[in-house]
Order: sequence, then structure tokens, then C-alpha cells
Amino acid sequence: MSRLNQYSSDFTPHIWPIGGGKGGTGKSFLTSNMGILLARNGFKTLLIDADLGAPNLHTIVGLPNPTISLSDFLNKRVATLEETVLEMPVHNLFLISGARNKLDIANLAHEQKMKVLRAISRLDYDYILLDLGTGTSFNTIDFFTVWDSGIFVCNPEPTSIENIYRLIRSVYLRKIRQVLKIDRFRSLAEKAERQNRDAVVHHPEYLLEVLKTIDPEQGSKIERILKAFQFKLVLNQVRRQDNPKTGALICRIVEKHLGMKIQFIGNVSFDERVHEAVCKKESFVDQYCYSQATLDLKVVIKAITGMREEQAVAS
Amino acid sequence: MKRTEDLNYYELLEIAYDASPFEVHQAYKEMIQLYHDDSLASYSFFSKEEREGILAKLDEAYSALMDERKRSHYDQSLIELGILEKATQHQGDRTRVSLSYDAKRFAANTALRVRDRLKPIASSNPVIQEILANDVLSGNDLRKIRDELGISLEEIAEMVKVRIVYLHAIENDQFEKTPSRIFLKGFLRAYAQCMGLDADVVASRYLKRIHD
Repeated sequence: MSRLNQYSSDFTPHIWPIGGGKGGTGKSFLTSNMGILLARNGFKTLLIDADLGAPNLHTIVGLPNPTISLSDFLNKRVATLEETVLEMPVHNLFLISGARNKLDIANLAHEQKMKVLRAISRLDYDYILLDLGTGTSFNTIDFFTVWDSGIFVCNPEPTSIENIYRLIRSVYLRKIRQVLKIDRFRSLAEKAERQNRDAVVHHPEYLLEVLKTIDPEQGSKIERILKAFQFKLVLNQVRRQDNPKTGALICRIVEKHLGMKIQFIGNVSFDERVHEAVCKKESFVDQYCYSQATLDLKVVIKAITGMREEQAVAS
Repeated sequence: MKRTEDLNYYELLEIAYDASPFEVHQAYKEMIQLYHDDSLASYSFFSKEEREGILAKLDEAYSALMDERKRSHYDQSLIELGILEKATQHQGDRTRVSLSYDAKRFAANTALRVRDRLKPIASSNPVIQEILANDVLSGNDLRKIRDELGISLEEIAEMVKVRIVYLHAIENDQFEKTPSRIFLKGFLRAYAQCMGLDADVVASRYLKRIHD
């Protein structure tokens, strides 16, 4: 029996896209170190560098020159996505790199994107962590909406929080767009914009409100879908002077005003040695296994796997 | 999911219909932390107008639910609408001893928010700026400034906790009815601050006339 089955219910997602609205929030750092912690806990874990425009996960995990990457699958140089998987020095940890991706891969065509998403869904791993690119392009957002799960990462800074709200609202809007037919969505958007001119820019919740008045059944259906999202939020690079409740407050705002449930799963402390570990291409959780940031990451892992805290070990 | 403007006071504060004044106060404090202008978690989620609207509704809810008589009226209206059953209505609370303290804090919070709202209006209003350019200010000048800002003397009195007769006396230049100079200076400062004006400038220029 895989380690996953010991702790997880059928409803626990095992594919976790990890994204943030802004660069430099620490998505790749979190992805790589969470992957190492999961692998060390006996979970067969795959990291996928889905930051198509700026892949660098291979460098963070200490694999400077990967021989194969995601684009080899897209370009049909290999028949299956599984063939692009690289084994890592850490037992149970695997990587699909983006290092050899073509420079224009960020503008992935819809068909290619669907091909990747389907192939990822078929992979047999306990956990799959996807390191996503920044911003709110469809290529990023669709990774969140296809599995209805994901981890949002932001820093306790106004700019980062502003961008995470933008990303969350984009996911919200995209989900409504996916459920409705194109014509239906357009007419709904027009009606909602008449009620609030910012409906499609800042307030996608108005779309749902308008939809509920003109088609209560469809509106309730979308409301249920939005409520079923299994999203998490991690606040990274939290300093001593920061308000430790900020993450929980962000989730509360989103739930109250968008009706989307996001679970705050922890603050990860700022640690100057992260920079050092990245520069040395070393694993932070291995080098500084007793640091506060590593302990915080274990709490995050616990929330994702459903393990009890004492079961989450660093090595 | 209801819009903020459609929520009743209890839903807005996320409290039970029979919540005690202490629970109302705690919920209000939490909500202020969530929606205050300085809240890192919510500042970029709302526009200035939306935030002001939510804060105003929170203040409205707090003042209604903390006052036994107003709360009873409000509950009655919910009962008539079929939202609240008589059995779950709040029946008064013995812990009201802390209310005077709560009311003071509430007034102080409101005064801060009103000041923050009026300050940019005052600094960009040409009529107010012209009046403030004078070396000496009269009670009539202060009233004109207040009229420009659209705030009543009653509202100021409530927020700064100064008896309204003194504020009337200040605006009517009835120096015989104003308190001693030291108290008058304090009242003038509070009055000016509440309108987002420079308290020292207003107090010193008004008091010049009493010297003269």
C-alpha cells in the first residue's frame, strides 16, 4: 500500500499546483522543499516545473543540466510524459524539468495544454507538486481549475497580497467561464457589468449574483463548484514583526466576499539562509533541518497530507 | 452568499442573535481589524468607497446592538420580517458594566475614521483653504468650514465627547459661555482634529481673539 493511502481520504487531492501572483514569493523554494519533505516521509513525489516561461526548479533542486524536459513530450520526441521524469538523489523524489523548453513555450496552445494536463492526471505518484509561473495567464490559471486544488503562496506585503487577490479572482472568473457556454458567459458578463462596471475586472462575484437571479439552478451549481475548491494559502517569508494572523484574515476575506473556501495552512518564517542554500544549490530543509522555516514547512506538509505533526519528519 | 449591504447586523458581525454585549464588542473589534484602512489583509481587496461603506455599516450595527433600547427595536423589526424568532432574541445582559468603556472606544474609533475621511477634503477645498489662510479665526469661520465638510455639530459632540453647548458657544463667539482657557484650547483642538484640520493652527488662531 502506498504511503498516501494510510493517511488520505478519497477526497484529499494529490496534485497540487503551487502559484503566486508575483515573482519572488518563494514558489520554487516551497515546491522543492515540500517535495523533499514529502519524499523523506515515504511519499513517492513528483515535482513538475510548470513555470513554462522561466523554469528554474532544476537549479534549486541541484540538477543543473537536465537531459530531458517537458517540451520533449510536447514535441513528441518521447511518447509519454512519464519518459521525461528524472530521478533525483533524494529517494522517492522525481522531477519533470522545464530547462530545455523552447523559449516560446509560455504561449502554449490550448490543445498542447490539455495534452499536458491529461498526461499529468494519469501519472502514478502519491503527490505531484507543480511549480507554476507568475501572473494570471490562462496557462497558469487552468492548472488551478482543472483539479480544483492548489496552493497559493504570497508574502506579507501589500504588493504580493494585491496580486494574490488578482490571481484568486482570476481563478474564480475562469471557473465560471468554463462552466458556462461562451455566448452565455458573454451575455452574463454584459448584464453584470451593467450592475457594476468592475464586475469582470475586480468583482467576479457579481457575475454569480446576476446568474443566480436569471438562472438559479445554474447559479447554485457554480456556487457549489466554487465551494468545493480545495485551495490552501501559505504565507512565505514571514518576519517577526509581521502580523501572524494576516494569512487567516486573507482567507476570511475571500470566503466572506467571494464565497470561496481557502484554508490557511501556515506561515513560513523568513530565513536569510534560504538565499545561501539557493546559491549553493543545496536543499534548505536538509541543511537547516532545525530552523524555524523547516519546522514551518513541516506544518504545511501536515496540512496537505493529513498526517499528524509528529509523523512529519525531516529525514 | 449575501452582499455586505444585504446582511443584517448579526450576520455582518457574524454573531448569534442572542449574543451578549461582550460578544458584540469582540466581534466588532475583529471586524474592524479586518476592514480597517491599515489592514494589510484587506486593503487591496476593496476600493476606498467599498471599505468606507462596510465600516459605516459596522459602526451602525455596533451602535444599534450595544444600545439595549435600539437593539430591542431592531430585533422587533427582524421578528416582523420573519428573520428572528422571539425565543432567540437577546434578553438583556448583566455584563453591561463594561459598556461605558466600550462606548468611549467606539467613539474614538469613529472619530479617527471621520478625521481620515475629512482630511483630504479639507486640504483640497478652496473655501476652507481661504479661511485657514487668515491669521485669526472666528467662530463663524469655523462654522463655515464645518458646513463645507458637511458634518453636524451633534456628530462632532458625540465623537469628541464635548458638550454641545460649548461647541455652540465656540461657533457663536460667546466667550462668556466657554469654559476656562485651558479647557477651551482642548475643546478647540478636538473639534479641529475631528474635521481633519491642524489642531494647533485652529486653536492658536481662534484664541488670538480672546487675547485681543
